[in-house]
Formats: sequence, structure tokens, C-alpha cells
Amino acid sequence: MDLHQACEWLQNLDFPTDVREGSWLFPTIETVHVLALVTVVGYTLLIDLRLVGLANRHRRVTDLTRQCLPVIWSAFAVAAVAGSLMFSSKAVTYFGNPPFRLKMACLALAGLNMAWFHLTTYRRVDAWDEGVPPTAARVAGAVSLMLWTVIVGAGRWVGYTT
Amino acid sequence: MTVIKHFCDWLAATALSQLFQDLKWFVPMVQTIHILSVALVLTSMGLLDAKLLGFSRQAPSLDSLASTFMPWIWRALGILLTTGTLLTITEPSRELLNSAFRAKMLMVATMAALLRMVQLRLQRDTSYWERSPQRRMAARAVGACGLCLAAGIIVAGRWIAYI
Repeated sequence: MDLHQACEWLQNLDFPTDVREGSWLFPTIETVHVLALVTVVGYTLLIDLRLVGLANRHRRVTDLTRQCLPVIWSAFAVAAVAGSLMFSSKAVTYFGNPPFRLKMACLALAGLNMAWFHLTTYRRVDAWDEGVPPTAARVAGAVSLMLWTVIVGAGRWVGYTT
Repeated sequence: MTVIKHFCDWLAATALSQLFQDLKWFVPMVQTIHILSVALVLTSMGLLDAKLLGFSRQAPSLDSLASTFMPWIWRALGILLTTGTLLTITEPSRELLNSAFRAKMLMVATMAALLRMVQLRLQRDTSYWERSPQRRMAARAVGACGLCLAAGIIVAGRWIAYI
């Protein structure tokens, strides 16, 4: 079974069919997705802006991450579940949609950027917790800001091209 | 109702609206800026509301949170008003004749008034919301209303597309 067939199989399951054919199910799941995604993006922006040096300059980076990360991960889980349900309703269409692919690629890059940041620069956070983050941290923040902007933009674009 | 309908028809026929309608990327791009600003307002307000509700007891204080985030909230609300107006000019009937849009505007106005009220009280007295048990109760009520309004605004905003 190739990926195209897998998408066909997925979207013909009972629940994806209900989501596709019902009148209120898709908008409801989409609303949950939007509520969760603005939370993810908002709290991520907060950390990114601190790293870049545009906001919250007087707050410890570790205070900010301790407060924001649990919210980001919980909301991300909700957004991912809701997003997967939306995807499953028209899997074949979304799978072939360029903005959708761009969004997924940027999500993966945002994940890699975060993992790289946590495994390298963030390990030495004690040295710059209260001050100006080093260049590597500022770059990670700026890259994250750009990727999340593209993720939101591409996500919105999906709605106009499917 | 017919007055608003006539207004929508007139607005949709203006050169500016026609120009925006012809640019296929215009609506998604403006919506993207709109959503990013919503995220900024929601997060800043969420932190303030959590403090008002008494969820986060450690530093920073409500006053210091407010002086950090209120300017961001008002700036982002300015961007939201601008992008929202551009979207309305592009598709007047989709917004102005829509009951979800009207509910959203009502909630936005209430939320802005509530925020301004919290900010003005804090400017006069930095510990205003902690002075008495009654004030603390009021702070919780304001925080809960703020969170509900934020959620309501997002829900109504998304349903504009479906009603």
C-alpha cells in the first residue's frame, strides 16, 4: 500500500467520513484547532521574543520556559489531535496540497530548531539566564519566529487551496 | 438591516474593495497577521488573567505583568482592528451581516473595556486588586470573564466562515 492508498483508506474510515460529510463537525474541530494553535504560537512567541531581545528582557529565561513550556506542549497535543482529525477527513486532498506540505515541513524544522537549541545553547543557560542571550540563542529565537509565521500562514493558505 | 445591506453592497463595489478582492493572496495574508496578533493578545491576556485568578502566586506581581504586557496588548489590538477592517472592506457582507461577527465584536468591546478598567485601577494603586477579600474576589471574576471572552472571541471568529 503506497501513501496515496493509505490516505484513501484513512479518509474512508467512519469518523473521517462523518467529519467530511457532517455540517458542524469540521468547523467544531477546526475551532478547537485554532484555540490550541493560538495558544502554542502565543506562548512560543513569548519565549522567542525574549531570546531575540525584543520583550521580557528583565525576566529570567528559565522562569519563562518553566511557565510556558507545559502550556505549549499541552496545547500542541490538542492542536495535533484536532489537526489529524481534520487531515483524516480529506487525507488525499491535503496530502497533495503544497501549502499543507510546506506547513508540515516547517513544523518539522521548528521541532529540530527547538531540539538543537535545548541540546546545545540552553544547557549553558545559567550563564545568560538574566542577561542578553548569546548569538546562537538569538538565532534560534529568530528562526522559530519565522517558522511559526510561515506555519500559521501556510495553514491559513490550506483553507483557500483545498 | 437593509441599510447595512446597502452599505455592504456599496463598500464591495468601491475601487479599494475590488482591488483587494482581485488579489488572491490578500485575504489569507491579512488573516495570517490577524491570527498571529490574536495569539499575542491571548497569551498576554492569559498571563494577566491567570494572575487575577490567583493561579500563579510567585513573582512577577500583577502590576509588573500589566506594565510589561498591556502595551503589547494595545499594540496587537491596534493591528487586529486594522487587519479586521481590511478584511471587512474586502468582504463586507461576509462580516457585517453575520451574527457570529456581531457577537465577536460585542465580546471584543467588552474585553477591551475590562482590560482598560483593570489597567486604570492599577495605575492609581499598584495593589488595588489585593487590598481586600472583596477586591480579590472581583479580580477573580474579572480574570474568569477575560478568559471566557478570549475563548468566545476565537470561537465566534472561526464560525464567521460557517454561519
